[in-house]
Amino acid sequence: MSSFMKKVIWLAVTSFFAFSLLTSHQVVAEVAIVVHPSNASSIDQSSIKRLFLGKTKAFSNGRAAILLSLSPSSPLVDEFNKKVMGKSGSQIKAHWSKMIFTGKGTPPQEMASAAEILAAVSTNPDAIGFIDASSVTDAVKVVATF
Amino acid sequence: MKYLFIVLISFGITFSYSASAEIQFSGYGSIIGGKTLGTVDDPLNPGQTRDEILTADFYDVGQYTNDITFKAESIFALQATMDLSSDLRVTAQLVAKGVDDFTPEFDWYYLTYHVNENLTLMAGRRNIPMYYFSEFSEVGYAYPWMRPPSNLYWWQVTQFDGVHAMYSFDLGDYSNTVSFFYGNEYSYDNVEMLYYDKLYGGSARTVNEFWTDITGMNWNLSGGNFDVRFVYFQNDRDRETIQQDGSIDDYTPFSQTFIGFGGTVDIQSFTLLFDWNFVEYDDARGTEFPTYLVSVVYNMDEYQPYISYSKADHERTKVPTKDLEEHYIMSYGVRYNFLPSASFKLQYDHFVDQGHEATGWAYHGDSDTVSMGVDFVF
Repeated sequence: MSSFMKKVIWLAVTSFFAFSLLTSHQVVAEVAIVVHPSNASSIDQSSIKRLFLGKTKAFSNGRAAILLSLSPSSPLVDEFNKKVMGKSGSQIKAHWSKMIFTGKGTPPQEMASAAEILAAVSTNPDAIGFIDASSVTDAVKVVATF
Repeated sequence: MKYLFIVLISFGITFSYSASAEIQFSGYGSIIGGKTLGTVDDPLNPGQTRDEILTADFYDVGQYTNDITFKAESIFALQATMDLSSDLRVTAQLVAKGVDDFTPEFDWYYLTYHVNENLTLMAGRRNIPMYYFSEFSEVGYAYPWMRPPSNLYWWQVTQFDGVHAMYSFDLGDYSNTVSFFYGNEYSYDNVEMLYYDKLYGGSARTVNEFWTDITGMNWNLSGGNFDVRFVYFQNDRDRETIQQDGSIDDYTPFSQTFIGFGGTVDIQSFTLLFDWNFVEYDDARGTEFPTYLVSVVYNMDEYQPYISYSKADHERTKVPTKDLEEHYIMSYGVRYNFLPSASFKLQYDHFVDQGHEATGWAYHGDSDTVSMGVDFVF
């Protein structure tokens, strides 16, 4: 093998590893699940999953949950899907297309920003949403972080 | 397409002037092309060969032959929902299928009334919740395959006019929904039954298929990683085969019961999909149809390769014979989610007809089929 080829291969291999290292450290946002401070329902990962898949429609306090999400292009949605739901965005979308076209449920409302989710959750006792943990304020209650 | 346009315009006119109610549109569709790969000895005409045929859609008789077609399974559907109040919603789905030359029809129209957080009532036209995938069998984006295996989803009736009561409750970490339904379907000019009449040399003018007093329940149980459903229903069956001279063939009505258990389970990167069903007639022959489906999908980011095996059998307990209809489909494919709301699919189907040729029960014939296409939602 020519020394030129060796160099090319070496460069390719090292760039691949460098790139993998970079991408693996890309986003490590902590996802905070937030509800209204008055909501005393018991909420864990299983109930969050079932709420955000429309399988369970109400909190343990008996009131119907209002689901809030961010725009699907938001990196935090990827984190939420991966860490909390354990599914890809496409799998979740496939699930909701089943629900929508059989009339069995309505997907979470998409909000434009964390600020909008904070505003909605702090004023609505039945809302549940997720934001970057660094954006949490006293106006909402954090029930879980992932 | 002209009709679709008129309907859309009238939707717009009807609802744009109604200030209180907001109408929301969504939809789904599939553009799928495919063909069978070879020829086969015609099971109904011994000594002759014909193209292999895969019936991809039995209800509308959408079939693949050696000529590439996009008409067998392509579909476009528009759903409109309107909240009349916070508790009452109207839903309608206008569906245009390639097998009908894309003539749009209102396949779904129903009211949904939320009585309280747990109880929901529905009334109108919907799909019969028979198999696990029956209610959304045409929403290609909702499942990994090109179609739910057509050798199970083969019934000549798939929809009905009826009422539903759905009660939801949690038990520990599990979500439950128990639904009861009741309704009727008077399927005039049934496409699938007329196809069979012609296939066996008949020349009927039309066939009307009646499924009445469809009464049953679904129990859906869900956790974070699985969703399973039990179904039971029964109904009365009757049929009018009307000949060219207007005479109607003799037919003995009977009742059928349908039971099934199916669902999906996520195990790490894999998803297991399964459905087991048993249909029984109370006819003189003791007709039974045991069927099942097992499929595994590997979820690899946006790629979802899968395999699926579906088997259908036909038995008679009162006049025992093994020489009836029997077949399986082994399918291999991949779904690639290339856009957030669209996926590309490629599927290979190996259909093996194990029916009895001498008595005409091997009427499907073996086939190998390749199909590919795009499913989308909006």
